Amino acid sequence: MIRIEPGAWQTMVAHAQSTFPDECCGVMVGKIDGDTKSVTTALALENAYKGKQEDRYEIRPEDLLAADKKARAEGLDLIGIFHSHPDCDAYFSKTDLQNSCPWYSFVVLSIKGGTFDHANSFLPNADQTAAEKEELIWPKS
Amino acid sequence: MAKVLIPTPLRQFAGKQDSVELTGSTVGEVLSALTSTFPDLKKQIFNDEGKLRSFVNVYLNDEDIRYLKKNDTAVAPADTLSIVPSIAGGSTVAEPPVTSLSKDEILRYSRHLIMPEVGMEGQIKLKNAKVLLVGAGGLGAPLGLYLAAAGVGKIGIVDFDVVDFTNLQRQVIHGTKDVGRKKLDSAYDSMRDINPNVQIDRYDVAITSENALEIIAGYDMVVDGTDNFPTRYLVNDACVILKKPNVYGSIFRFEGQATVFATQDGPCYRCLYPEPPPPGLVPSCAEGGVLGILPGIIGLVQATEAVKLILGVGESLVGRLMLYDALAMRFRELKLRKNPECPACGDHPTITKLIDYQQFCGIPQHTPEVAVVEGDIEPKDVKAKLDRGDNFLLLDVREPHEYQICNIPAAKLIPLGDLPKRLNELDPSAEIIAHCKSGMRSAKAVDLLKQSGFKKVRNMKGGILAWSDQVDPSVPKY
Repeated sequence: MIRIEPGAWQTMVAHAQSTFPDECCGVMVGKIDGDTKSVTTALALENAYKGKQEDRYEIRPEDLLAADKKARAEGLDLIGIFHSHPDCDAYFSKTDLQNSCPWYSFVVLSIKGGTFDHANSFLPNADQTAAEKEELIWPKS
Repeated sequence: MAKVLIPTPLRQFAGKQDSVELTGSTVGEVLSALTSTFPDLKKQIFNDEGKLRSFVNVYLNDEDIRYLKKNDTAVAPADTLSIVPSIAGGSTVAEPPVTSLSKDEILRYSRHLIMPEVGMEGQIKLKNAKVLLVGAGGLGAPLGLYLAAAGVGKIGIVDFDVVDFTNLQRQVIHGTKDVGRKKLDSAYDSMRDINPNVQIDRYDVAITSENALEIIAGYDMVVDGTDNFPTRYLVNDACVILKKPNVYGSIFRFEGQATVFATQDGPCYRCLYPEPPPPGLVPSCAEGGVLGILPGIIGLVQATEAVKLILGVGESLVGRLMLYDALAMRFRELKLRKNPECPACGDHPTITKLIDYQQFCGIPQHTPEVAVVEGDIEPKDVKAKLDRGDNFLLLDVREPHEYQICNIPAAKLIPLGDLPKRLNELDPSAEIIAHCKSGMRSAKAVDLLKQSGFKKVRNMKGGILAWSDQVDPSVPKY
């Protein structure tokens, strides 16, 4: 189960809405306690995809490395990656799967007409052939 | 001792440590020390063949080892190694490129495979290629058949027309049995019959400024098989905006042209023709005719250029306009240069989004509806006048060879081109009704006669084709 705290959630939704109609991306940082992951901070990253970003995103490994270092310095863990699907449901697409990694939770935010609609979290396998849905809890306000 | 940082989710496989100190003088040695110390980590980072998994990047301090000496990169004791995944995605469903051919495909493409210029590598490039055909008519027919046969993996076709009998003289992708069917469906069946390995996307629409970018974005290149100026400019501008090559061809009567536009350094259609010709100046194939074989030749020049672009072999037609004259049986070529002032592809482009191309080409919207000019007369009313014995002249402005195909016996033949010098044969005070094949040329004749002082001139709406529909079905349509 992955639980996103209000501050982090605000950052994620604001980032996803501000890049609309393009996709956004970023990392989620927090603590893991047994089966429960708590995201306390979200960090917006630049979408590095070269081309139309309406339906694609890419994270620079350098940016991910820097985010990981920052988290470590604060005694926190890098727990997951988030990105948005503008005017599209929050499913884990074939493109998402084929460019995923099995180590993190992947949260997808569906942004419709510029505002947040719904979200899901996924755990891809190592062969990038399937992703399991993970229980996602976000602050409902 | 070099330090290896362990990503959070992998710590469970590394004794719950967030970093480990290991010995080794190269990246390869440190990584193998890591996986021998923590065997469970191995399958997280390496695949069954012992190679780093596709999503795994290794950084030495701040540098990706792929840009250093990979596994042989030297490691000093103070260095830090990080394992960083590549992450991307998106809502699109992108097909992964294929990397092999099936046994059946190897047999099918064997005449390609044994040529080093194609080979396995080239044939796989063809299989991964995505080509959009705009139009499934004269040029689209040979293009569709040969590109499918050659093994182009994905072919999109944009066409909203229906097969009719006049198409069969040249559009060899359609058969007599297909008359009345959508060209898309008929072309699909022929192409799938030749090569069932090809994915064919059908777009049953007219390509417009609203949908062009969306459709073209999914392809590597466009092959233009259109027959009108607005679409040609639209396809050109969309290709320039999306940076996709535009393999161009055009045909008229016995002559054709072909080239490749909108490549990185090459010219575009607007470098050659900055402005469209005035509407009606350049007749279409329906008006002027076309040798049925001609689109075969030009379409296959386009197909050849498309395949060469995909394979990356040979010398393409970029910067060269190939001209073909079937009567003289001669090929010539003109040099084309990229125009730095070009509004589409020049140094300071002014066309950065798609415009209204009907308007740009001076064509009023919905021509057939608004073309009903006061004074036009329906064929059935002309017939009634003839039957009543009204005193008027029926003037046929078509060409003599068209007159031989069919005619209205009461009509006097003066081809439109001869009309200015034969005005003296006509009485300016007499009532004249002009007709041609479909009403276009006779409308011009009416204008000309009015400008020359003729008062009572009218155009027979829809030409002899409409006469066949309304008055005399025994008159053949052509």
